[in-house]
Amino acid sequence: MGIVSVFVRRHDDPEERALERQLRQLGCGELTAVKIERVYRFEGDIEISALLPLLVNPVFETYSTETMLRPEDGPVVEIGYQKAVTDPETPSIIEGAKALGVDGLIWARLSTRYQFFGVTEEQANELVRQHLYNPVVQMIVTDGSYGDTLRPSGKPEPTRRISLKGLGDEELLEISERNSWFAPLEQMKTLQRYEERLGRPLTDAEIEIVVQSWSDHCYHTTWKSLGLMKMLMDATESINHPMIVSVFEDNAGAIEFFDGYAITIKGETHNFPSSIATFGGVTTKHGGVIRDTIGFGKGAYPIGGSTIMGTMDPRISDSEVPKGALNPGHIVRESVRATADYCNPMGIPMMFSVYRAHPGYAKCLALGHSLGLVPIEHAKKDEPQPGDRFVLIGGRTGRDGIHGATASSVQMTGETAEKESAAVQIGHPIVERKFMEAIPVLRDAGCIRAITDLGAGGISCAAGEMGETTGILLDLDAVPLKDESLSAWEILLSESQERMAMAVPQDKLDEALAILERFDVEASVIGTFTGDNKYRAEWRGETVVDIDMSFLWGECPIVAAEVRKPQKGQVADDAPKTPGLSLSELPNMAKQVLSHYHCCDQSPAGFQFDSTVQGRTVVGPFAGITGKMPTNVFVAAPLRGKPYGVVSTIAYNPFYGDVDPAGLVQLMMIEAITRAVAVGADPESIALNDNFYTPRYSPEVGWHLKQMVETAARVSKEYGTPFISGKDSSSGTFVTTDGQCIDVPMTFAVAAVGKMEDVSRVVTKDIKAAGDRIVLVGGIDPHKLGGSVYLDCLGKRGEELHCSSDPDFTRRQLQIWRRLHELYRREDRPIKAAAAVGEGGIFTRLFEMAYGGGFGVDVLLNASAGPLDGLLFAECIGSVLIEVSAHEDLQALLGDLPFMVIGETTADPVIRVSFLDECAELPMDDLVAAWESTFKEVVF
Amino acid sequence: MRPRIAVLYAPGTNCHEETVFAIQRAGGDAEVAVLRELVTGEDRLDNYQGLVIPGGFSFGNHIAGGRVLGVYLVSRLREQLQSFIESRKPILGICNGFQVLMESGALPSGRVGSRVAALTLNDSAKFESRWVSLVAKDTGSFWTEGLAGRTLRMPVAYAEGRLCHESDTRVDAAFLYADSRGMPTEGYPENPAGSSRGIAGVVSPEGNVLGMMPHPERAIMPECGSSDGLVLFENMVRYCALM
Repeated sequence: MGIVSVFVRRHDDPEERALERQLRQLGCGELTAVKIERVYRFEGDIEISALLPLLVNPVFETYSTETMLRPEDGPVVEIGYQKAVTDPETPSIIEGAKALGVDGLIWARLSTRYQFFGVTEEQANELVRQHLYNPVVQMIVTDGSYGDTLRPSGKPEPTRRISLKGLGDEELLEISERNSWFAPLEQMKTLQRYEERLGRPLTDAEIEIVVQSWSDHCYHTTWKSLGLMKMLMDATESINHPMIVSVFEDNAGAIEFFDGYAITIKGETHNFPSSIATFGGVTTKHGGVIRDTIGFGKGAYPIGGSTIMGTMDPRISDSEVPKGALNPGHIVRESVRATADYCNPMGIPMMFSVYRAHPGYAKCLALGHSLGLVPIEHAKKDEPQPGDRFVLIGGRTGRDGIHGATASSVQMTGETAEKESAAVQIGHPIVERKFMEAIPVLRDAGCIRAITDLGAGGISCAAGEMGETTGILLDLDAVPLKDESLSAWEILLSESQERMAMAVPQDKLDEALAILERFDVEASVIGTFTGDNKYRAEWRGETVVDIDMSFLWGECPIVAAEVRKPQKGQVADDAPKTPGLSLSELPNMAKQVLSHYHCCDQSPAGFQFDSTVQGRTVVGPFAGITGKMPTNVFVAAPLRGKPYGVVSTIAYNPFYGDVDPAGLVQLMMIEAITRAVAVGADPESIALNDNFYTPRYSPEVGWHLKQMVETAARVSKEYGTPFISGKDSSSGTFVTTDGQCIDVPMTFAVAAVGKMEDVSRVVTKDIKAAGDRIVLVGGIDPHKLGGSVYLDCLGKRGEELHCSSDPDFTRRQLQIWRRLHELYRREDRPIKAAAAVGEGGIFTRLFEMAYGGGFGVDVLLNASAGPLDGLLFAECIGSVLIEVSAHEDLQALLGDLPFMVIGETTADPVIRVSFLDECAELPMDDLVAAWESTFKEVVF
Repeated sequence: MRPRIAVLYAPGTNCHEETVFAIQRAGGDAEVAVLRELVTGEDRLDNYQGLVIPGGFSFGNHIAGGRVLGVYLVSRLREQLQSFIESRKPILGICNGFQVLMESGALPSGRVGSRVAALTLNDSAKFESRWVSLVAKDTGSFWTEGLAGRTLRMPVAYAEGRLCHESDTRVDAAFLYADSRGMPTEGYPENPAGSSRGIAGVVSPEGNVLGMMPHPERAIMPECGSSDGLVLFENMVRYCALM
């Protein structure tokens, strides 16, 4: 059976023009044109003519069975997925062929040919290598690339039995490293003792299950040894908030919403894969965190998502990129493409997309959130019962993502990228979308006793966790494979995406399978919950796993981690408290701040993500008269026909951690809550999700981490705002191929979720009328500029953040939130617009408010309040700019809260700043041009 | 009696839930009809008085937007669909549903199996998620009744929305992208696809099949930015009731 090919070109292809533009922008000036040709390859007993309606629409496409690119016109390079990877398109092509009545098709692949005009073959190869393909999952296709079959193929290795008996410390570490277990010595010794107890060597599958389950990624060994998890959980417990439904026990956390529903939230990072193969890493980041929602309780429905990327400055040149790391511009662009490719098909509205930069992110931050909706009665899983069936649903199991959990738990080197290439994969959102649809139906039909997603550690971790209290027997021959060459341990460990596992009561099995079939979800019964408290697996007539659940979950050695106070602070520098800025320097500085990567218009990315799907978005990521004003917050009305609102937002700042990691935590929590309250969330209804990302463990990192978590716990208690979910990653260190270590900044991102009774009450940021007053509610200390965008524009970091551990500060912040919320509930709606201050200070928010409404602002600053730069650019987090009518009695409105009138709104689109009897005019057009310029250079 | 309207679900469809809600808001009785069950014969199109093919990524939009589902309709449901069209029952294709109608031939000609136009990759070569203004044409069809000349606000979210057809193909525009003065535009980003003549929606010669790239079902509540889309569903329900 041969392989036949069809070549397809579009008559007019915007992708060709876009690619040419991009490559020229990336520095290939000689390039004059690009042509693209799609190549379909088919294996099976088929007539090509029968497939043509599927492959070609003659209205805009042409085909041939030979390539239509003439080699004499310019070099041609073809890129396809590696043989072990299933193309995302393959299942759809096979499905379409079936619809056409073509049954003999066995496999199909799609690759892309690029022809470059105006460049040499050498240059073309370089362009492809740098910008168009990732050797981790793709390959350059040549005549012999696929051999005589397109299918992933091969023979599995038999199960190995590995004895650790008598091995010394060094040998144990060596064997751990050689097998990519990355297990610390104490764990290896525990395994050695277990072998002795069992009286037989362990199998490769058994050892793999244990080291996966005990990896930092799955077991959070670093955090456990420092007692950090407990610290946050204790804080939440002591708050004892009545709205809590589920905290830190499930794949996400949940609070009570309205009408018997709960809202779930989860944030998950996927830093390692995103750093070595961004497209695959970021798609699986989204796929994974969405499955955390789908696998919450007995199944929740995702209603919002996010993407947060922290990289090095994406505008640096190749020579400034650490050796062995990807170019950060490439990471950002690929991440945007990946987020669009995964999230749009999922049909989950994008809540916010945030891009930030810091020189420490050689190993990038790739964070995503997922919000979900679930009836409270289904918010808790039941325990699987002996006799329940273990059902695997979704995608097939392949060689992808093996060792993801352990690899992501170690420091990353240029070499890890090579060696652990299998840890990366590509996502198939359509597969996930299908079970996202089916699971609520299964849930409501009573078919789900418990459910979990397959993420790190694959089947091995899911079966271990679900079977913890009963024991489980797996039949690995029943697992549908993409690749027949997988051995037992690989089937157990594969992190192939888009899979879920369920415990289904025996008497519900037929009904469950029928529902899954209706939604085209592949399902296989691959095991049974037993009652013997053993973890067993059979494969090809052999017992390949037989260990005790009590060992797996009870004997992971937690080595006490050493903690040491660092000699001096982080990398604070000697920047003067306020560098000083004259009014004549303001126009330039204002443009510099607005065009700073952290303040600039990021809509060239954001507009690529669907934010209105599901039809219930009230405030999306962008708004205002041009539709481009960043809102930094998301509001939706998830219960159809009901006014109830869910509010969500994120606070993330990579600079503050350089100055004061504990202060960073306080400020991020305040910022997230303030943003939510400023749009209309009830401050009493807010819950938080934390994501920590810290360098590889050292006693000094441990000291900072402890300070950070203690601060989080303290602030959480002070405000009565509980953490309900979170995730930590303690592997933020990149080792260049020449041995240099680059640590990520101490990173803490916090997402807030809150409620409002009536979404018609939202207060947006855009100015609503001319002649109104703009008032800053809350304090500002114009001398505290540490970590600000303003100082970063001057190449400085500064010494002191705009925060305080003074109890008065805490108390006052609570009063601001409560007072604002009272005012929002008033019938006369005195507050017309509101914006929480953050990066870029008051000035940046004033600009956004004016831009959103199409107005200007006359800013009147009193020199007695402080220096010009401090007043405009201090990031007084917790304070809120509001728009009120000129006749409003501010004293009556705000009582004893600190406030300061900042200026007046104007019809002419100019920001006019008056200071010490002088005035600077900043036309909005100029400011907008600067604000729009930056991101266009990065994402094009 | 409330007319029974099918909202077609194929693997990858993701706007069916809000579309069902929009039809119900407009007074219709909407139900999800599963492609698999239509293909096996467990369900039939003539069980319904109207059909909406909602937005999403049917079959992942692999090969081309709407291609695989279009092939399904032509090769497996051709007669049912053709007779649905000929009996003048209303069909609405939204976004991916519009692509499917084009790929199946139901638009612009109303003849299943005759592909004469397509919705192709946006000029920007990117997915575009934005709010747009539309002007409605006086098509003589029930779909645009009461809308002619009005400017409507609703979101778009697509990568393949640019209309492409042979110059001699009849394409009856129902909605055009409009600029800030309410005039039809080919300019970006008001016309996010770069569609020629500003075409955002097309109606069949008989007037009962409408396809549009913008999402009316996302614009049925003022709190969510606009309720301009509701009229379309109301027109559909009213027409069904009169049939």
